[in-house]
Order: sequence, then structure tokens, then C-alpha cells
Amino acid sequence: MDHSVTEINGVSIVTLNGDVDLESSPVAREVLLAAANKTAVLVDLAGVDYIDSSGIASLVETLQATKSNGRGFGLVQVSETALRVLELARLDKVFAIYPSVEDGIAGET
Amino acid sequence: MILNPAVAIVDKEENGHSVKMTKPVTTTQAKKPEESEISEQLSLLAELGRDFATSLDIDTTLERAIDRISTYVDAEGGALFLLHNENSLLRCEACVGATDITGIELASDHGIVGRCVQLNTGEIVKDVSTDENFDGSVDSQTGYTTKSILCAPLSVNEEKIGAIELINKRGDSGLFDESDLHLLEVLSSSAALAIKNARMAADLVEQEKMRRELELAAEIQRNLLPTTPDSSSPIFGVNVPARTVSGDFFDFFELEDGRIAFCLGDVSGKGMNAALLMAKTASLYRCLGKTSDRPGKLMAHINAEICETSTRGMFVTLVGGIYDPKTKLVRLANAGHEPPLHQLANNKFRQIEAEAPPVGITTLAVPEDGYVEVEVSLEDGPLYIFTDGVTEGKLADGSMFELAGVEKLLTENIDQPLSFRLNSVVNEINRGDGPLHDDITILGLDAVAAGEAILEFEFAAQASELKITRDRLRPWLRNTGVSDAAVKDVVLAVDEACQNIIRHAYGGDSDEKINLKISRQADKLLIYLKDFAAPVDIETIKPRDLKDVKPGGLGIHFISEIMDEVEYLKPDEGIGNLVKMAKIVG
Repeated sequence: MDHSVTEINGVSIVTLNGDVDLESSPVAREVLLAAANKTAVLVDLAGVDYIDSSGIASLVETLQATKSNGRGFGLVQVSETALRVLELARLDKVFAIYPSVEDGIAGET
Repeated sequence: MILNPAVAIVDKEENGHSVKMTKPVTTTQAKKPEESEISEQLSLLAELGRDFATSLDIDTTLERAIDRISTYVDAEGGALFLLHNENSLLRCEACVGATDITGIELASDHGIVGRCVQLNTGEIVKDVSTDENFDGSVDSQTGYTTKSILCAPLSVNEEKIGAIELINKRGDSGLFDESDLHLLEVLSSSAALAIKNARMAADLVEQEKMRRELELAAEIQRNLLPTTPDSSSPIFGVNVPARTVSGDFFDFFELEDGRIAFCLGDVSGKGMNAALLMAKTASLYRCLGKTSDRPGKLMAHINAEICETSTRGMFVTLVGGIYDPKTKLVRLANAGHEPPLHQLANNKFRQIEAEAPPVGITTLAVPEDGYVEVEVSLEDGPLYIFTDGVTEGKLADGSMFELAGVEKLLTENIDQPLSFRLNSVVNEINRGDGPLHDDITILGLDAVAAGEAILEFEFAAQASELKITRDRLRPWLRNTGVSDAAVKDVVLAVDEACQNIIRHAYGGDSDEKINLKISRQADKLLIYLKDFAAPVDIETIKPRDLKDVKPGGLGIHFISEIMDEVEYLKPDEGIGNLVKMAKIVG
């Protein structure tokens, strides 16, 4: 997995690419929580080829962190693979899911 | 997206742009329309727009439009011309008045209407007799006298579509004035937008219709292929079309005495004509093949039939044969097809070359007694027949698969069932990461009864091993014929089960091993995961309530959601833990 963080209009866009699994999710968790401590967070999942329960757990933890800070949190461009796993976890209705970064910024600010 | 012309016209009225008006009409030239006139004009515009938006028949709508416009401007007659043949030709699509000129065609720069189209400018010709571009030939044929012409271009954002021409204003003078031109320009610019939208809509409808027809053709083609036999069958085939329809085919069917007739062919070219010839050849083979003992002779009959009726230049490369399960002997004939591949002991391969030209070219080169037949014994090893879509298929790195690549893969998988071997060849090219260059078809015959497909390996109980494990599992699952969606699910469930072993049985990354064994028998996938850690209390393994949104504890839920059976067992060896999972796959 690789990742990048950019800030647009006071929103952190965390882009995750590749496989978010037991090996890589601790990195994802750290990056996500660091962003959640500063700004609203959007996670771009377009390039996620694989995500497991540990990756989903990182997203849930970030959701809770932003909520407790009163900040926005959303998922954007969720890949088909990631969406299937969110559905299995019954979280596809819990997360705010946006088709694009622009929609996400509009929705979470 | 289809613009609604009615809406587009309202937009135009509000914004005043998007439609070209090349000749500004100032209030000094045209009399200012009264408020009631404006409202009348608007309702005419709205009506025209609605007509174009709701009508499926552009011709009738154009006729109604020119009728309404002529009436409104009070002209004796009117005609609507549209550009055709890459804008070289103007054709009258609709007209009203004394003379019916519907259907007449003229060069797109001819006459007053041509000038109007080319300059993209509306104009009044008060006296046509003094205009150098006026063509009086229609008048001289019909006896009608054209005095004055009002003409406005149909164009949208510089794109020329045609023009509207009105002839002879009713009343004493018979002359049009600037306010008529102004009105016609407004009407024609709206009409142009509506015509463009209607054309786009018609194009989309046509495309959708074609797509559906192609889908139906593809369905019929799929039904021409034999149903997938059970895993004990000595024959198995796979066909993946590059486009919706295929020019490749294969078939097999049992004869009354228990022997199996089969064929595989490749029609020259691609597209619908190839698909139709494919359907014809496959049908002929199946129909005649049920009563034929000799594949070479049968193919000669088919050759004669196709030569007699086929389109010039199209041909079929074809292999036909009969397999006798009692003697393990295959008799086959080859009409210009890629040589079938006979796998012998010691990983050697033998190519069975074609003895005759393809089917559908000539009857002269085919011996009277039919195509030459050769005999192959499956005691020596399995037989593979395939199209050039296989050998010329592109690998992930862009290089060609080639015969050597096919042979290598078949050798590697020699212990797997026949269907697995064929899928492994096809999946090497059909990776789902881009369009195929050619149809892929492969047929295999094997005298050895297929066992179950098995994959077994061990890896260290470490997080970094999981990606490697998933990458090993995916192609194996695809090769056993599991659908792409189910492959993803099964890989997730296995990964989650491995994570639980690493985290809960071993208490984190360990040098100890996890043993994975997965097999497929009929429609059932069986997965065993074994570890060598201290026994885990089975009672503690329970999925949690998902209503409570919190991180963690999802793995067990994923496994139970995806798998049809999950059992926690004690390994026979008495040490470690054993998880057995099963899933029914289509």
C-alpha cells in the first residue's frame, strides 16, 4: 500500500492505493488519525485493490475521531472492491460516500 | 445527456446566446413587435420545441414545423433544407405551398438557399429576378412565379445544419420585410437546436437498438456452445469472445454408441458476418455430425455446402473429430486450422499439422473421400485444439503467449483437472485488465479421469505473507472456474482466517507456519487452514453485533457471511488448530 495526503480548502484528502491489509493498515491508521486531529478528512479509495477488516477498522476509528472533534469525514471514489467489503460490514450506510473529491469537500465542510 | 429542446429554447430566450445570429436586426430596421406578438412567437417556439422533443419521427415533425412557420410569417410557401453527404448536398426535407419540392437535392452552394447556408446569414431577396443566384428551373417546370424569398440558416454554434426558405409574402405587395426576417431567424435558430437534439436522440436510440440486437445475437451464439459437462467428462472447452459476438466456436456431443463427436473452428474476419458464418458452420456440423462416422467426410460435405453459399473471401479453419472412450482413440481431420497439440510423456508435445485448405474456399483441393483423417491415442497424453487467439494472445507484459507459453502452462498444470488446465491457458490472456484482440477458444480431450483441483502450501504466520498468499490464491480460484466476484470474497475470507491465526493463535507475527489446503470438487470449494499454535478456546470465537459501530471484530463476521460452512476442528496430529471452510460456487 502507498498513501498521500493533500489539503484542499481545509480538508485533508488521504489517498490510499494498493492493498490495505494486516501489514499496511497500521500505517493507514496512523496517517488517518493524524489528519483527523487537524482537519476534516476525506479518504480517496479509488486505487484500493484490496481492503480487509483491519483496514475497515482504521476507517471506523477515524470516523469516530472526527465525530468527537466535530469534524467532517467521508469516503470518496470508493472502488468496487472496497464497496463490497463495506457492504459486508454493513457500513456502506454508516459512512458518507461521495463520487468525487469536490462532492466530498462540499459535503463535509 | 439529451437536451430537452423545449428547455433549450427557453434558455435561449433567457440568455440570448448559444445560437448564431449573424445579421443583427436593429430596431430601426424592424418594427418593434407588439407584446401580444411576442407572446404569440414564444408560444410558437415552445410548441415547435415540444414537437421535436416528443416526436420519434423527425420527417413529420419537420413538415409540421415548416407549415407552422409559413403560416405564422404569412408566406405562400416554404421549404426546409438539410445538409447531407458531408455537407456537400442540400435536400428539401419538408415543404408547404403550391409546389411540392420535397426530396429535391442541390449542391450545398447552389441558389439563394445555398448562399444562405454557406454565408450562414439570413436575408431577404425582394425581387428574385435581379438575383444572380436565383435558380428559376422549378418555376419554369411548375408555372409558379417566385417573386420574393426570405431565407434563414439553420445552424448551432457555427455548425451548419441547413436552411429555411419562405416564398412570396401573401397580400398585395408579395414582399417580405425586415421584421419577417427577424422573426424567421429567431424561429430557425430554435428549430436548428431542436433538429440537432432530435438527431442526437435518434442516434442514441439507434445505438441502443444495435447494442440490444448484438446482445441477442451473442446469446444465440452462447446457446450454440455445449453445456458445461461435469468434471468427469473427458472433453471440455472454453470460448471467450473478444467482442460481443464471436467468430470462433467449438462443440461436442455424444453419439448413440457412446463415442463423442467434436469440432472447433475459427471464421476469418470479425464482427457480425463472421458470427453468422460461425453459426452456420456450427449448426451444419452438429446436424450432420450426429449421423456421420467419418469426420473427414463430414467436413467435406460442410466444405461443399459453404463453398456453394458462402460470401466470397470468407472461410473457416476447422478441426473435426470423434473420440472413442473405449479405445481412447481420437480420429480427427484438420482443414487449415492451427495444428492441434498432443501432449506426450516427458513434457513433450507433438503438433498435428493441417493436411488441407480451410473450409469454404474450394472443393477442388479436397479428396473425394473427404479430408485426411489422423489417429491420436489419448493413452499417450491429452489433446488440445485451440484458435490463434490463444497463441497470439497478449500476456500481462505485452508479449505474445506463443505456443511455447501454452506448452509451459499445460506442463505446469498437468496434475490439475482438464477444465483447470484450459482455464489457466485462457485466464493467462483474459485477465480482465483490457480488451481482447481476438476471440479465445480452446478444447481439450483427456482419457485420464479428472481428479479434484487441489492447491496446498505453507507460509510463515506473518502479516507480510498475506499479500503473497492472496496473489497465489486468486489465479488458482479463477482457473477452477470461480466467478470474479466470488474469487474476491473467498480471498477475503481466507485472509481474515489467516489473520485470526496470526493474531489470536500465535499472538502476533511468528516464524511458525500456516498450512493452507484448498480444493474444488464439483461446485464445492473446501478450504483447510491449519496452525501449530497452542489450542484456542473455540467458545471465544464469535462474531460481534454489527449495529454497534466500532473498529475490530469484523473478520469473523466476514468469514461467516462469505462461507457456507465454517467449522473449528482439532487436527489429527493433536497439536494446533484447524479451520474448515466450505463454499458452494456456481
